[in-house]
Amino acid sequence: MATENKKTFSRRKFFQRSAIVLGGVVVATYAAKGVIRRFIAETAEGMDMPSMLANNEALLWFEILPDNTVLMKSPKIEMGQGIFTGFAMLAAEELEMPLDRIKVEHASTSNGPIDKVSTGGSNSTSSLYVTIREVAATMREMLKIAAAKQWGIKPSEVKAHNGELSSGNRKITYAALAAGTKDWEVPEIPALKPASEFRFVGKDFKRIDLKQKVLGKPIFGIDQTFPGMLYGAILQSPYIGGKLKSVKTDLAAQSPGVVKVIHEDDLVAVVAKSRYAAQTALEKMEAQWDVPKKWQQDEFVALTKVGTGTRVNVQNEGSAESAIKDHPEEVFKQEYRTPMAVHAHMEPNGSVVHAEENKATVWTGTQAPDMVRGAVSSALGLGKDEVNLKVAFSGGGFGRRMDLLQPQNVARISKIVGQPVHVFNTREQEFMNGVFRPQTHHVLAAKMNKNGEVEAITHDQATPDQIFSMAPENVGAFFLGADFISAGHGASIMYNVKNKSTSVWHQQLPVTTGIWRSVGIFPNTFAIESFMNELAHKTGKDPIALRMDLLKGSEKINKRYQKVLEVLAEKSGWDKTKPEGTGRGVAICNDRKTIAAAVAEVEIIDGMIKVRKITQVIDPGMVINPEGIRMQVEGATMMGLTATLYEEIKVKDGQIASSNFHEYPMVTLADTPEIEVVIVQGHDEPYGVGEPPMGPVAPAIGGAILQLTGKAVRSLPIRLS
Amino acid sequence: MEIDFTINGKATRLNIDPAMPLLWVVRDELNLKGTKFGCGKAMCGACTLHVDGEAFRSCSIPAEFVSGKSVTTLEGLSESEEHLHPIQQAWMEENVPQCGYCQPGFMMAAARLIEQYPAPTDEDIKNNITNICRCGTQPRILKAIRRAAEIKQSLKS
Repeated sequence: MATENKKTFSRRKFFQRSAIVLGGVVVATYAAKGVIRRFIAETAEGMDMPSMLANNEALLWFEILPDNTVLMKSPKIEMGQGIFTGFAMLAAEELEMPLDRIKVEHASTSNGPIDKVSTGGSNSTSSLYVTIREVAATMREMLKIAAAKQWGIKPSEVKAHNGELSSGNRKITYAALAAGTKDWEVPEIPALKPASEFRFVGKDFKRIDLKQKVLGKPIFGIDQTFPGMLYGAILQSPYIGGKLKSVKTDLAAQSPGVVKVIHEDDLVAVVAKSRYAAQTALEKMEAQWDVPKKWQQDEFVALTKVGTGTRVNVQNEGSAESAIKDHPEEVFKQEYRTPMAVHAHMEPNGSVVHAEENKATVWTGTQAPDMVRGAVSSALGLGKDEVNLKVAFSGGGFGRRMDLLQPQNVARISKIVGQPVHVFNTREQEFMNGVFRPQTHHVLAAKMNKNGEVEAITHDQATPDQIFSMAPENVGAFFLGADFISAGHGASIMYNVKNKSTSVWHQQLPVTTGIWRSVGIFPNTFAIESFMNELAHKTGKDPIALRMDLLKGSEKINKRYQKVLEVLAEKSGWDKTKPEGTGRGVAICNDRKTIAAAVAEVEIIDGMIKVRKITQVIDPGMVINPEGIRMQVEGATMMGLTATLYEEIKVKDGQIASSNFHEYPMVTLADTPEIEVVIVQGHDEPYGVGEPPMGPVAPAIGGAILQLTGKAVRSLPIRLS
Repeated sequence: MEIDFTINGKATRLNIDPAMPLLWVVRDELNLKGTKFGCGKAMCGACTLHVDGEAFRSCSIPAEFVSGKSVTTLEGLSESEEHLHPIQQAWMEENVPQCGYCQPGFMMAAARLIEQYPAPTDEDIKNNITNICRCGTQPRILKAIRRAAEIKQSLKS
């Protein structure tokens, strides 16, 4: 690979394009091969995204603005995780800038190449932890070199501090220097600051997007407006697998404010002067649907069952399967189920697209910018370079925005009417045409010896995929058999048991299933950890002591497990007397090297589950922004609570039975328990934070109910009866 | 139909379909994007704003309802971007938002609540605000509302 040539080319292109955008007040970047490799390796290691999405032109850009602030163009998207804040902290560290002088915005194709790696897998900060600092350090050295040239001294004699360069009595701001510098010398990547010299990393910082969000600024895709913009509404099937048989559009066409009714192949849509007019007209369409099968809940659930479909073994140590098969009398076996769910992020999916003669512009919140660009360019017959994608802040994502969200159809509509077109789903379209969290079925079996020690354990997880819809039909299933990468993530047994075996089973559902915050961690931790709680209950062991015992070892990870459990026992008051009528339950998981464990305190009042307190302990490796981590852990705890107590998508008469929040209750302020977040820094590099704490919530609550009632929780959402 | 009303202190006349939900009047006719669409069925509260000082879910009230009335959206809640409303100050102090999309509705509901309950307990808050947040900012919202009530009290004394 001609890395050097590429590097020079990219740099030149960067300067040229940026000069147009900013009038020359720009300093640059790099595209080192180390960065590229790291992206691919860490993407693959993250195991969440197929490497075909990996990027080989990952560029990160900084611009020095005239007011001596630095603008960073983020290749990862902000959907609430707080990554922009962490990025700014990392940049400030090496740039020698005050944190409040660093702004972060989404990269777009007009100001930089968009990262082909999607945002997800809790890896935004961890995967860019070194990269951002390297780019920032490179830029700082470029500034020093430029100042040294101007002053006729050596770069090592120039000091960079607080956005200024100085040497003796001479002083110049980054902005003033950048404005007067035409030729930049880009050095080799400089050595990075040791952690002991960090000024920002490890300290608490509030979100850098806090004020815009408190002021309600129009930062989301749905907020975008443009001169001449029209509003569209697209007809979507209310039936699972429904195909349009016929549609009468006359009434819709006569509806007030309608500009055009479109019926072109599979696309039926209304374009109007307002969203209200477009939606009103859409409701007047009389559509007939061909429904291949009117699915009912029981037969739908039966599609996902261990023993049905394709099996892929993902863990096999010792001889677990024969040990369990040969001694059925010594085997403890249980089954668990989790239901389908929707993402229910608060900003519905949609986009604004302006298709013009030989180009198109797209405004949308997406976790997969490159995929959106590709879809729009093929829908319009344009080259990918002719589609400019402006990434907006996302009003939640949780994996839903890894999928396409119809920008290609919005693009087609825009092309037909020749104006920018704004199309965002109704909540009913969100629910009934969603990409769903797959339902799962788990069978766990353990063989115990006379002393109650676990000798063998097997876990079979049946789950539809979460990633096959990203590849052409049948390709994923053909090559992988089952989705052990994403839906099966976390299925393997982490405990020290000599004989263990884990398999993931796949059978396709008639709806699209996809990534949902924490992917397989939520269902798998529910199943495995509920089983562990049942084992403890059955053998009369303390649930934390049982885990401590099975997680002993000499590896670093074993020490991290022990530490997390020790801290959890202490902070949750595990050994202290419980208030009367209270149950306590525990669970732990390892999600891509981050360890998350929780204790839940639960009461049952008038037959209702009341979660009083959840203590979460997380070891995410190195800690960048403790405040950001606490927010993410609180958020994951609340989302886990919704999934434990309420969430369930059912099907009925061929339709998704939940059309809006009245049929899909979620937690509110009234359900909010006390949440205590404790951070243990167990390593010197950062791992993910956003998803791991989802894992222990459901089994910890289930464990508390087991302790309180003697009845095990084996399916979600929890129903007491 | 011509409808006269006040929006964030300014007299306004619009010629619109009287059945158009107030949410879309505010967002698309008046270009005030701080009021959000979440469900369209008055269930999530993302579209909460004030009409004559009362909190309403604007996706489910028709434009004609506000004829002759005064509408306040998040954009009109504070004096200016420098002098924030106690609710917004508390939201800043407690670092509440994550994605931020549902927060305007929560802030508008909370601003009304602290008028009714100058020193709200958690129970007061939990019984009166049923908005939905998917990111899980509820623990901070509870803290921020109590904090906002304190800020408001301190301004009075």
